[in-house]
Amino acid sequence: MTTVLIDGNNFYAACEQSVDPSLGKRPLVILSNNDGCVIARNAEAKALKIPMGQPFFKIRKRLIALGVEVRSSNYALYGDMSRRFMAILKEHCEEIEVYSIDEAFAKIKRPINKDLQPWAKNLRATLYRNLGLPIAIGIGKNKSQAKIANHLAKTIAIHAGIFDLEITHNTEYWLELIAIENVWGIGYKLAHWCRMRGIKNALQLRDMPSNELKAKCGVAGLRLQNELRGFACLPIQPKQKEKIETCVSRSFCRPITSLNDFQEAIATYTVIAGEKLRKQKQFAGAITVFARTSAYSPSFYSQSATKRLNMHSNDTSILLAASLQLTEQVFKSSYLLSKAGVIMRDLLSSDHLQLHLLEKYSCKGDAQRKQLMLTIDRLNKRYGRNIVTWAACGIRPKWSMRRDYLSPAATTQITQIPVVKV
Amino acid sequence: MPFRLTSSRLLIPLAHESIPAGFPSPAEDYMDTGIDLNEHLIQHPASTFFLRVEGDSMINAGIQDGDLLVVDRSLDPQSGCIVVAAVDGAFTLKRLVHDQGVLYLKADNPNYQPIDLRRYSDVHIWGVATYSIHTITRRTKQFRS
Repeated sequence: MTTVLIDGNNFYAACEQSVDPSLGKRPLVILSNNDGCVIARNAEAKALKIPMGQPFFKIRKRLIALGVEVRSSNYALYGDMSRRFMAILKEHCEEIEVYSIDEAFAKIKRPINKDLQPWAKNLRATLYRNLGLPIAIGIGKNKSQAKIANHLAKTIAIHAGIFDLEITHNTEYWLELIAIENVWGIGYKLAHWCRMRGIKNALQLRDMPSNELKAKCGVAGLRLQNELRGFACLPIQPKQKEKIETCVSRSFCRPITSLNDFQEAIATYTVIAGEKLRKQKQFAGAITVFARTSAYSPSFYSQSATKRLNMHSNDTSILLAASLQLTEQVFKSSYLLSKAGVIMRDLLSSDHLQLHLLEKYSCKGDAQRKQLMLTIDRLNKRYGRNIVTWAACGIRPKWSMRRDYLSPAATTQITQIPVVKV
Repeated sequence: MPFRLTSSRLLIPLAHESIPAGFPSPAEDYMDTGIDLNEHLIQHPASTFFLRVEGDSMINAGIQDGDLLVVDRSLDPQSGCIVVAAVDGAFTLKRLVHDQGVLYLKADNPNYQPIDLRRYSDVHIWGVATYSIHTITRRTKQFRS
């Protein structure tokens, strides 16, 4: 079985263009949370040399002058397109492991003539026709090699988005083309350490003494090196591991200075966390609330507080009571808080739950609460986000995420689907 | 989204109504699982999208203003089928017609001119319309319009 890495090109931008024909082939950039920075660009925007990560406020005028379209991150759309993307991939591969919103590793059997090009070309054509999403396919002996192959598929135009590293006769030639910074698993600092030792590319990393690499990076480094040498060390894991913590946090579009606003924010994140827990069929045993000022602030402040729950729960009312109590320990009025969040910890699935020795427990009451949560979740799913929520979250709060350029949830809300003028 | 509408699958009649005492239902062995519209209207959930119809150029095909259109992007557009096309930056719904070597997008309404696809540089067939769902009785309460 051969390993493949499939990933979407300019995924967020491609999703927007897929459901909005008015964008055409014009340059397009997608902004991060709170419309902070550029986090995605389509090919046309890349050609205009608009750099990634640029703060939006700095380049807004330039974007207007160049006629670049701008969109805020539309996670409802991207999440849905990602689900469809993975569903189609499952039909074309033996097994897949979802790696990120737009990437998946997969296993595929080579045909008798060993040529995977027809399969790869068909997969590219299918995803482009069915979803409007262009992809790159990298094929290799293992995950690390598939990653490298994917990079080569994307960056060398003649490969037309497909590269099979496993059947090439000159693997060394290709490994040498991969700069050390672009090797999967080598971060910025490690890349610098490598360069100091004269290791500039994947080939040199492969051939460097193992004991030196192990001393610096441990077994993770050895695994990477062995994969570059052609051994498969990282298995494909189709089932996602159960989460051990769930965090919901956001930056505020403007700093928070009042306890009331802070509590509204924490309440909102707690409600979202509660939904996530119920969706994951997990129960939290402890909650942490944290907040901080901007990292660039002259008077930096950062604080967190944790509370254990008597009994594991995913009932939002119980989670709220705990998290709101914690806000008083975390909040300090003299600081401009720019980011906060809640972390649900010590997660258990329903088969491991225990009752509390001293707390009263009513079977009927518990069943009623479960039914209430289920009903609220169903109403929100059916009629739109937050159609039923807790008053503690506030109504149209001033600090909520800025998304001035948000496109409609064209594939997930029936009231926002595209119009076809006939 | 199509393949998450599990609430519309009113299938398994057994589990909920547990009759604690009494005779088992004679129908038990013959129970059908029930009709799920998702199964019948959506063949390829991952490639199926919904669009809202505005206008009457396809009225003779029974597609009316306000209808909910089910569009399957995985189907191969054949001559004679009704397609959603992106023409000059907008979605349009027309019948794809192959006439003497030329491809046209024809309206099912004599008041509209056919679109000769050779004239437009910015055209692509977005998907094939499979069903058009027409509302007969509007709901009296709308939570969000």
